[in-house]
Amino acid sequence: MISSDVIRGYNDTFILYMLLDGESYGYEISKNIRRLSDEKYIMKETTLYSAFTRLEKNGYICSFYKDETLGKRRTYYRITPEGLAYYHDKCAEWLITQEVVNKFIKEL
Amino acid sequence: METIISYLNNMFAALPRTAQMDGVKQDLLSSMEEKYHELKQESKTENEAVGIVISEFGNIDELIEELDIPVEGEENKLLMLAPEDTFSYMAAKKKSGFMVGLGVMLCIIGPALLILLNTLAEFGFLKGVISEDAASILGVVALLILVALAVGLFIFSGMMLEKYKYLHEGFSLPYDLGFEIQHRSGAFVPTYTLSMVMGVCLCVLSPVPVIAWSLINEDSTGYGVVILLLLIALAVFLFIYYGNIKESFSFLLKEGEFAQEKK
Repeated sequence: MISSDVIRGYNDTFILYMLLDGESYGYEISKNIRRLSDEKYIMKETTLYSAFTRLEKNGYICSFYKDETLGKRRTYYRITPEGLAYYHDKCAEWLITQEVVNKFIKEL
Repeated sequence: METIISYLNNMFAALPRTAQMDGVKQDLLSSMEEKYHELKQESKTENEAVGIVISEFGNIDELIEELDIPVEGEENKLLMLAPEDTFSYMAAKKKSGFMVGLGVMLCIIGPALLILLNTLAEFGFLKGVISEDAASILGVVALLILVALAVGLFIFSGMMLEKYKYLHEGFSLPYDLGFEIQHRSGAFVPTYTLSMVMGVCLCVLSPVPVIAWSLINEDSTGYGVVILLLLIALAVFLFIYYGNIKESFSFLLKEGEFAQEKK
């Protein structure tokens, strides 16, 4: 398990990545993140939903309702152009971060 | 699954009930529910499934930081009204207004019926059916039955509103809900005005039948009085029924007579 402190700055990036291919909803996103990380990272519910709130407030994603079968209503999310731009910024930032951190990592 | 629902309810118990909060809570619940069902399908036991779902919930403070929690000092301590409670209060108030109005109407119809029976008997219309004495006894009995019915209605409507007594201890309305009630209240104004105008007209016109009747036939003011009472009964019903609906709006919006409760 990865400590949540380290990954905190990239939760938003993960979510935006999951939305690149199209709209999705909370549980599906969290399940896919878990699957992609080979079960090494499980995003907590509160982390996921506080990220949704934050991303929506910043205009990076937008939410809408979709009726499911059995009369259930689900909140779906879609990435906005601003969100896409932010995602690319974060990717660029990560490359530099990775480069810097790597300089201080010694293989034992 | 109940454990998960009550866990979530506990987590949100101390937080103000805003529309945003409710939405997030609903989303969290459906997400946790889906996870729970999937775990169960993977043949996890109930305890395991609940344990995993709860352990992956996280920390509520993280969520609070992102949500816009209204901090308005005193206002914050007051009970935040939920839409369901608000609308059920309004429905109860409307229904109680209807029942009280009907009750008062019955109370007025009682004497009207008594007078009608007496007058009919007096003029011999009931000859062969019942005697004059029997007619007045029948009138009294009918009056008592109607009053009893009315009292039943009063008590019932009082009990119906009992449930909402706590509202008088103060509450605050979420912004969006306040807006909606404001809107409905505005839409109700024409209906209310019309009903008040009609009520007042009925009251003003109510002596007309008495006067008219006494012009036609000086002996029997009885029929005129019966119609007067019926007109008054109708007017009173209008006042009470529409007045109650109006009151529910004023109460929720803390307008008019309820304004001082705002403080």
